[in-house]
Amino acid sequence: MNCTRRNFLIGGSTTLFLSGYFPKISFASMQKKNLIIISLRGGMDGLTAVPVIGDKRLKKLRKKLILEDVLNLNSDFGLHPKLEIFHKLWKKNQAAFVHATNIPYTGRSHFDGQNLMETGAHIPYKEKTGWLGRGLLASNITGKGLAISLPMPLLLRGVPQNNNFFPSPDFVEKNLIDQIYNEFKGEHNELIKSTLDTIRQRPLSMQIATDSDDRKKLALEAAKQLKDQSGPRVAVFDLDGFDTHTAQGGVDGAHADELEEVNKIVTILHENLGQAFDNTLILTLTEFGRTIKQNGGYGTEHGYGSAILMAGGLLKKSQVYTDWPGLKKKELFEGRDLNSTIDSRAIYNSAMSVCFNQDPEFLRKEVFWGDALPDLSQELFKI
Amino acid sequence: MSLKFYRRVAFGLSLKDKQDKDPLNWALNQLDTIPDLLWPGTISTEKELRKKYGEWVYGDREVLRKKFKNDKHAYKKAKDELRIKTGERYFELNEHAIRHYQTKYSKQPVFERFWLFWGNHFAISEKDFLAEFSTGPYQREIIRPNMVKTFEEMVQSVTTSWCMIHHLDNSESFGPNSKKGMEWGETINENHARELLELHTVSPNAGYTQEDVIQLAYIMTGWAHKWSRKNLETGDIWFDQEMHQKGDKVVLGIKYKNDAKRELAKVIHDLATHPICIKFVSTKLCRHFITDEPTEEMIKPVIEAWNKSNGKLIEIHKAVIRQAYKYNENTHKFHPPEIWLMQLSRMFDLNIPLSSDKMNYTFKSKPNRKQRQLSWILREIGHSPYRAKQPNGWSDFEVDWVSPELLLRRLWFASVELPILIKSGNRSHDFILACLKNNFEDFENMASLIEQYRFGTLDYDLGRKYGVICNLPGVLKV
Repeated sequence: MNCTRRNFLIGGSTTLFLSGYFPKISFASMQKKNLIIISLRGGMDGLTAVPVIGDKRLKKLRKKLILEDVLNLNSDFGLHPKLEIFHKLWKKNQAAFVHATNIPYTGRSHFDGQNLMETGAHIPYKEKTGWLGRGLLASNITGKGLAISLPMPLLLRGVPQNNNFFPSPDFVEKNLIDQIYNEFKGEHNELIKSTLDTIRQRPLSMQIATDSDDRKKLALEAAKQLKDQSGPRVAVFDLDGFDTHTAQGGVDGAHADELEEVNKIVTILHENLGQAFDNTLILTLTEFGRTIKQNGGYGTEHGYGSAILMAGGLLKKSQVYTDWPGLKKKELFEGRDLNSTIDSRAIYNSAMSVCFNQDPEFLRKEVFWGDALPDLSQELFKI
Repeated sequence: MSLKFYRRVAFGLSLKDKQDKDPLNWALNQLDTIPDLLWPGTISTEKELRKKYGEWVYGDREVLRKKFKNDKHAYKKAKDELRIKTGERYFELNEHAIRHYQTKYSKQPVFERFWLFWGNHFAISEKDFLAEFSTGPYQREIIRPNMVKTFEEMVQSVTTSWCMIHHLDNSESFGPNSKKGMEWGETINENHARELLELHTVSPNAGYTQEDVIQLAYIMTGWAHKWSRKNLETGDIWFDQEMHQKGDKVVLGIKYKNDAKRELAKVIHDLATHPICIKFVSTKLCRHFITDEPTEEMIKPVIEAWNKSNGKLIEIHKAVIRQAYKYNENTHKFHPPEIWLMQLSRMFDLNIPLSSDKMNYTFKSKPNRKQRQLSWILREIGHSPYRAKQPNGWSDFEVDWVSPELLLRRLWFASVELPILIKSGNRSHDFILACLKNNFEDFENMASLIEQYRFGTLDYDLGRKYGVICNLPGVLKV
């Protein structure tokens, strides 16, 4: 591939000038906008999901992990064949990718990395709230987060009264809660009490009993909720299993199985959000990418730069947005990992500003401690 | 001293357990010896179960996949039969029964709480078929016998156990300058080395670098399963000199001379006795038994006991219990779902686990619904013990266990499932009152909340009673 270091970060200013002519509150911004984050735990390999085409060095270092039948994106990048829905949406300008990006964390520990991808901070375990929770709080949006998992992800913490959905096998009578509610006294019971509040305020559609192993049903219910104008505005899915130290494989390996799960969720969301898909952004999140070189078990080790998969009608156009660092030894991070040239928090900050109708500058200060994160809304999203 | 101490450090009191005049001594006296496993049913050895693991993976990978490569449906059918034959669907259920039988009936319940703690500190997360065949026996045979030894000995055993080595890929780690590394162009797999530092011993507080991780991985190269065509990855652990990185290594500023298999014991000694390791693990112990954010003052005596005894776990455990006793009245600790279930089972004499004769398995059909019941409950309340998602095990922070769905699951269990588990002789209102009186100072207030259902004895009425009682703040936490 002949893709060399490029600067894509110029060019925002002309569109910024244009946007000044339009009133801030257009019809589109009255519509509820949904932000959906899919956490890919374990370290998603950006070079497997969105491989560079024809890079001889990559081929040499990953002899046992070579992908065949890559879907075509552009002259520089392809797409993993299991990510079909992204390819379909790409053709309609509803899928895009950010490449060579990561949170500013280079420590290669899952636990520190996952903590930081959710808190958005620099020191592991220091912050107790998630960037998405803080973004919602700063935008005065409470009670609008929905997690599709049993525990409440750190990512959503920091704003009260979030909901999560992972139905139990049978009904629970709500008046049981009324009977115990007043017993929760004192500061040490606050967390449980406010969580009981959330349960009491649940919409009827969430009071169902179903098989929670069925990802399809969960994604379907999430779509139903998100479609509702008064329903949640943010949803968080959690997938794990991206830590493929062994048998990572190519088209049908362990990493492919996980990408297939992502594909499944996005497919269901796309099918069931209907018109609301136009007002939706779906973004993935991971703690780090993986080493360029395969290891002893035909897997890869913990690396640094990865990619963000994006879908939804709020994307500006189909594109692979990157400041490509190259894969030559000296271009790699510590000589072994794809580098990260874009702080992924800039993308998340911009996405929140678009979905929450909030000034990105304000969010940057409120959520990310004023860290130098460029506003990429103009480049990536419809505003 | 309030009764909650019995739940803080154990599982509460059954009607057969007696309140002790000296609860602190009651607890301290339980830590010097390893209680026998009480389960009257089958308890297979780790080695036996690893053999089954081998039969399962060999049968699937080497036989069935080849035999049925063109017939998906026949393959699926044959695979299901193999699951039954090798116990792939059964052994985890039996391990859960062994574990819950122990926490329900053990005469040393405080010891059992520490057993759960260490099993989670040196967690085996969900990977391959470890939960199905290996995590249970690992906790019985690697964790348990080391609980009367030193922390260092525990780390040694864990690090060279088949289960942990498989879990963290050390068999795939080759010294790049070793004989096999050179021949096959293989290199290290850092996973195990990283977790040995980060999770098992010194934690990131020690400020180790990527280079430290690599150097430790070099030291660990060679500790691998003995691969064979018949046993595949389930062979015993040995030290393969031909995989071992040659040359001196430096970890956290300490030099380890080229000394083959002896390098590992030396570095583990240094890691397990490192002051930052001692503080990290002491803090985790206090977090488990006292409160989510233990203070320096709470932790200090544990560190002192550690130093004074050179890491003897009996002394460390006793120091933790003394601190738990000291801070019993004024601190709060939320219990994760499995411990909550174990406490309900002991306090209210629930019908779990299934009796050992009914748990008996013939390897001829799928385990039945009753045999699956306990494991199903654990999964549904969000805490299937051998299936932590990551090598750092289950969280010990309240905030990770309080979500609408997780609280609803507890309400669901107590109001819908639990009544089915009440023994037929225990369905009267007097029974529940006696259990409450045995375990809670404010039992009168608790009783008043369920007074309106006192005459009901149907499952539905019991569901109302237990649904309320089991989800009160004083039951969810101490």
